[in-house]
Amino acid sequence: MAAAAGSAAGKTGKSCKKYRTVKRHAGIYTYQEPPHSNSDDDIGEEKAESHDPEQIFQNIQYQKEIMSNIRCRPWPMRQKLRALRQAKEIVLKYEGRLTRTRGYQAAGAELWRKFIRLAYNFVVIFIPWEMRIKKIESHFGSGVASYFIFLRWLFGINIVLTIMTGAFVVLPELLAGAPFGSTVSKTIPKEQIASAQDLDTIWSLGGYLQYSVLFYGYYGHDRKIGKAGYRLPLAYFLVGMAVFAYSFIILLKKMAKNSRMSLASASDENYTFCWRLFCAWDYLIGNPEAAESKAAAIVNSIREAILEEQEKKKSKNLAVTISLRIIANILVLLSLAGSIYIIYFVVDRSQRLERTKKELTLWEKNEVSVVVSLITMIAPSAFELVAALEMYHPRTTLRFQLARVLVLYLGNLYSLIIALLDKVDSMSVTDSDVNTNASNSTAALATKTLSKEDNLSTTIPNVQIKRNSIVTLEGSRTQGLTVSDSLVNKTAPFNGRNPQDQCWETYVGQEMLKLSIIDMIFTVASILLIDFFRGLCVRYLSDCWCWDLESKFPEYGEFKIAENVLHLVYNQGMIWMGAFFSPCLPAFNVLKLIGLMYLRSWAVLTCNVPHQQVFRASRSNNFYLAMLLFMLFLCMLPTIFAIARYKPSLSCGPFSGQEKIYDIVSETIQNDFPTWFNTVITYISSPVVVLPALLLLFMLIYYLQSIARSLKFTNNQLRMKIQTERTEDKKKVVQMAVARIQNLDGNDKRPEQESDIISQESSVRSSTPRKNGSVLNFESPASKGTRIQTISQSVPQTVPSTDVARPVNATPTTSASLTPAPSVSSVQKPRNDNITNRYPSVVHGSASELCKTKPYTPVTFKKRTEDVHSEPLFRKGIRQVNPDALGAGAPVFVGHRPYATRYFLVNENESRKKSLRSTSRLQRHFRKGESGDIIELYPRNVRRYVVRTPHQMYSPHPSEDEEDDEELGREFITRSHRPRSLSDLRPAPRFYIGERADGHILMSKDLARVHYKSWDDGFELDLDRPPYAYKKVHLNYPEAHVKSKSKQKLEQSLTESDSISVESSSDPQNSSNDQYIQVIHSKEKYPKPGTKLTKKKSKNSVDLNMSESNELVCSNV
Amino acid sequence: TCEAEAARAAMGGSASLLPRETLGEYQELTFLSKQEILLAYKRFSELLPKEERENACSARVPKSQILTLPELRANPFQHRICRVFSTSDDRDDSMSFEDFLDMLSVFSDSATSDIKSHYAFRIFDFDDDGTLDRKDLEKLVNCLTGQGEESRLSNTEMEQLIRNILEESDIDKDGTINLAEFQHIVSRSPDFARYGGLQW
Repeated sequence: MAAAAGSAAGKTGKSCKKYRTVKRHAGIYTYQEPPHSNSDDDIGEEKAESHDPEQIFQNIQYQKEIMSNIRCRPWPMRQKLRALRQAKEIVLKYEGRLTRTRGYQAAGAELWRKFIRLAYNFVVIFIPWEMRIKKIESHFGSGVASYFIFLRWLFGINIVLTIMTGAFVVLPELLAGAPFGSTVSKTIPKEQIASAQDLDTIWSLGGYLQYSVLFYGYYGHDRKIGKAGYRLPLAYFLVGMAVFAYSFIILLKKMAKNSRMSLASASDENYTFCWRLFCAWDYLIGNPEAAESKAAAIVNSIREAILEEQEKKKSKNLAVTISLRIIANILVLLSLAGSIYIIYFVVDRSQRLERTKKELTLWEKNEVSVVVSLITMIAPSAFELVAALEMYHPRTTLRFQLARVLVLYLGNLYSLIIALLDKVDSMSVTDSDVNTNASNSTAALATKTLSKEDNLSTTIPNVQIKRNSIVTLEGSRTQGLTVSDSLVNKTAPFNGRNPQDQCWETYVGQEMLKLSIIDMIFTVASILLIDFFRGLCVRYLSDCWCWDLESKFPEYGEFKIAENVLHLVYNQGMIWMGAFFSPCLPAFNVLKLIGLMYLRSWAVLTCNVPHQQVFRASRSNNFYLAMLLFMLFLCMLPTIFAIARYKPSLSCGPFSGQEKIYDIVSETIQNDFPTWFNTVITYISSPVVVLPALLLLFMLIYYLQSIARSLKFTNNQLRMKIQTERTEDKKKVVQMAVARIQNLDGNDKRPEQESDIISQESSVRSSTPRKNGSVLNFESPASKGTRIQTISQSVPQTVPSTDVARPVNATPTTSASLTPAPSVSSVQKPRNDNITNRYPSVVHGSASELCKTKPYTPVTFKKRTEDVHSEPLFRKGIRQVNPDALGAGAPVFVGHRPYATRYFLVNENESRKKSLRSTSRLQRHFRKGESGDIIELYPRNVRRYVVRTPHQMYSPHPSEDEEDDEELGREFITRSHRPRSLSDLRPAPRFYIGERADGHILMSKDLARVHYKSWDDGFELDLDRPPYAYKKVHLNYPEAHVKSKSKQKLEQSLTESDSISVESSSDPQNSSNDQYIQVIHSKEKYPKPGTKLTKKKSKNSVDLNMSESNELVCSNV
Repeated sequence: TCEAEAARAAMGGSASLLPRETLGEYQELTFLSKQEILLAYKRFSELLPKEERENACSARVPKSQILTLPELRANPFQHRICRVFSTSDDRDDSMSFEDFLDMLSVFSDSATSDIKSHYAFRIFDFDDDGTLDRKDLEKLVNCLTGQGEESRLSNTEMEQLIRNILEESDIDKDGTINLAEFQHIVSRSPDFARYGGLQW
């Protein structure tokens, strides 16, 4: 409504002003949507004017703005569509008038927009699994979907890693490197060739797989390969580092982005309850089961919040919970330590077994991996049980659970790593030994068997050491969950004599790849076993089982988001750990993730129920990422350590023959770069440069940190500022809210207000019946409802009255525009006198006044609410009023929408002033006094003043009336007219009320227009000026009575209207508040004038006329 | 125009396609991509009886049909959603294709949180009076918790909950939550943007 009114009023204004108003509309919350015509009006109007190119340009810009953000407006589509089309039309129509460059710019922008849209449409197709994820999301909510989104993100990272390693390492090696079998490191040793194709061998990644691009050892150590001289070793090293660098960067970037989003929202404000209520429902849920569990979760969380709130007030039994928690933590620690001990025990046992036994049983071979995998499967459940002891908040429980599982996974990974590094350590030692004593290998063979028993004794012959290393190697393999038996078998017979076996990098790569493969197998198995078969059993056996399988023991598998995400993190950690030694690991991981995506999504959709506890997806996102980052760091450490600490294998890999792997960089710089570069590098790497650089870095860090600190400080300050501003906003909000409440509850509150008024003026009422018998009939049914009904009936009259009501509000705003008035002030005075005459009559019928006041109150409510909703309305109204007030009052009436009524009221007051030249001074005094009164009243009750507004109008009258009576004898007639007008005023508000209740505001407008027309006619006939017309209309209703008196009255009324405008301008108070204030004054004063008037009226025969007029009005109704 | 376009399209033989021009406009007016709009169109025309599919643009789907969409079927606010997005004159909550698009647009991933919160507010405003008062909140809670005996909140719980909510959100202390307050709170919620989606 508000917006509609605004647009209508804006028509006359210039386009740029409209922009503003329209923008404001957009910003303001218009709860009742603007009618469809609204936007059209806005746009349509703007076509009309402005030939100034700058304005046209602005207009077009504005239209474009509309077009660009129209989708953000909460309008129904039909309206948006119309607005868009109109905006386009305007742009098309006017763009031609602009300079060419602007036209081209616009055309270019349009093209660009189309292109962007096309590109967007295109890109959407290529987001993998989008629909699949959405489907899952629609079934299980965003929590589960976040797992898949995370998976997809990891998939993206692995794709990039694969491309990096594939393009710069694997492909060059395949294309340009020495072919398979051409060098020692690329051929399978003769002893192994027989078993190279055994499934057993392949399974343990030996044989052909071991001597392939999969692993480090296959890559040649030629400085340059191919015709182009591709530096493969350098590329290998750089790519290996780039993998880590890229992962770090992408991860940090993502985290920063997330935290930026969460930081914006994560300030200390915490609306627990509101969030739980307003943001509880996950609108993505489409599955009834999921909806059910979600609803249950919501109920739980709400209950929880309530409980927490209640418990805050109580004092908890801290001792019990704390001791329970301590116990729980001890249990967890014990189980962690136990699991690690078991792993070590098993590894040790398997090593011993290997040393003592030649042939191992299947169980003995797989002991370690089975134990480790069992632990990884069982421990989380145990942790869950333990967590029940702790009685934490569910979310905290989840956090703890996650942390513990993470520690468990890390324990597994690290135990493997440490074993591997042990192996590597001994291997490199043996390498060097092999180097020096290569010729002695045969001699050493004899001692092999003996050496088995000795562990790591450096004093023992070299070969022995070799042997030991192999044994430990086996042990480490088993530790890593891998089936290393085949290798053990192989290596045992060959005794590590073969230099190829000494390639520890390949060995590490093999281990990691095996780990990854076995992890995948376990994942698939667990999905099938734990989810699928369980689901099958539960679904099909529950009918013939003795308890309900679906709801009791086995149930369906839950999708445990957090643990699954952790598993992904763990998996990715393995990839990072092994990527340097097995360049194809990322590629393998890509395949694995693809498989996982399909398998998991299938499993989720077919046999899982959503997790009872909804993990907060957005918060957790950064949590996941933080874990991933942690993992990345921890997984990078061993690799970096190995690279920095160990000597690369002698006989295999791109770095063979170097002292350290990273020597490749300095070597390349030395050999292949110009000497000046070399010297520069040596300078740079010398302590002279490095130390200051380090210092500089430290200083930089310190500086940045201090900046961050100061930023934080300013941040806090800004927040404080916001808070203070918000408190100021509160006031506005309060005003808005109050207005809205009044608006909305107008119907409800009206009675109350009326009752107040009634009580206040009850004395007046009592008097009224006496004076106006006719009036009595009308008013005597004091009950509100009856009155209102009667009012609603008197539609025609009511309309004018509403108009009258409008002026009050409008006047202050209009005052500025009306400024021409200064000269008028003098005019006002004489006119006021006349007016006063009219009013006295009104005053006389104190009862009638009461009636009036009641009807008015609703009107005022409307006004207020409207005002609050849309400020522009005021302006519009003002504009209209100005011409009307100055020129012809009648048109004003017509043009005004219901709100306009206020203006009229003001006008009347003003007009009174004008008419009352003699009284003008007195009136002014009154006003001043009134204003003061109003101010006092205002704080008390906003609503009240609204109610009182009608009084204000009348109040001036009484004073005027006194004087008028004395001065003018003929005014009796005029008085009679005035009362009519007053009576008109009353019904009008009523009329509106009735309409409001019906909600046909538009209807009221139409009616008003109709009336206006009729007035016009009457006006033309009888009156020179519009105000006359207005009166005439009234007269018409009352008919004969009015006409006789009409002419003089008309003149007065005219003067009044003019004076009104002038007065409004002259009034010091321009703001709407001031207006209200005035109104209030009138109320207070009212009784006094009323009394005076009554006295005077009693004296005059006019009083009777007044009453008659009232009667007439009633009859009309 | 929609009907005309549809008619033209029908004559051309491809009855179930949206005219390109309209499609472009819909893209500008919603947060949906072309594919999504087409998919929505398909879904929408599937809700219509066979004979009306020819001019799905101008047809209205009754509320009962709309509610068969899985996302709405499970949604506790289904009636409110229909009411808020329907532009039907006779208040029967039926939806035209444009209303349908409006709804999808608001619930789509890319919609701004501003517009989401705006509509959320209207959805929660059960009596359409522009503020969330106690009655609205009560209804809202009841919608969320369902009607089951055990899941329903007791009177004291409800009282406590509403009091707390008003304490948190009612900045101006007028006993109701208005749009500004609502948006203020909701914009700070970490979950709102994520949960405010609707897919098909």
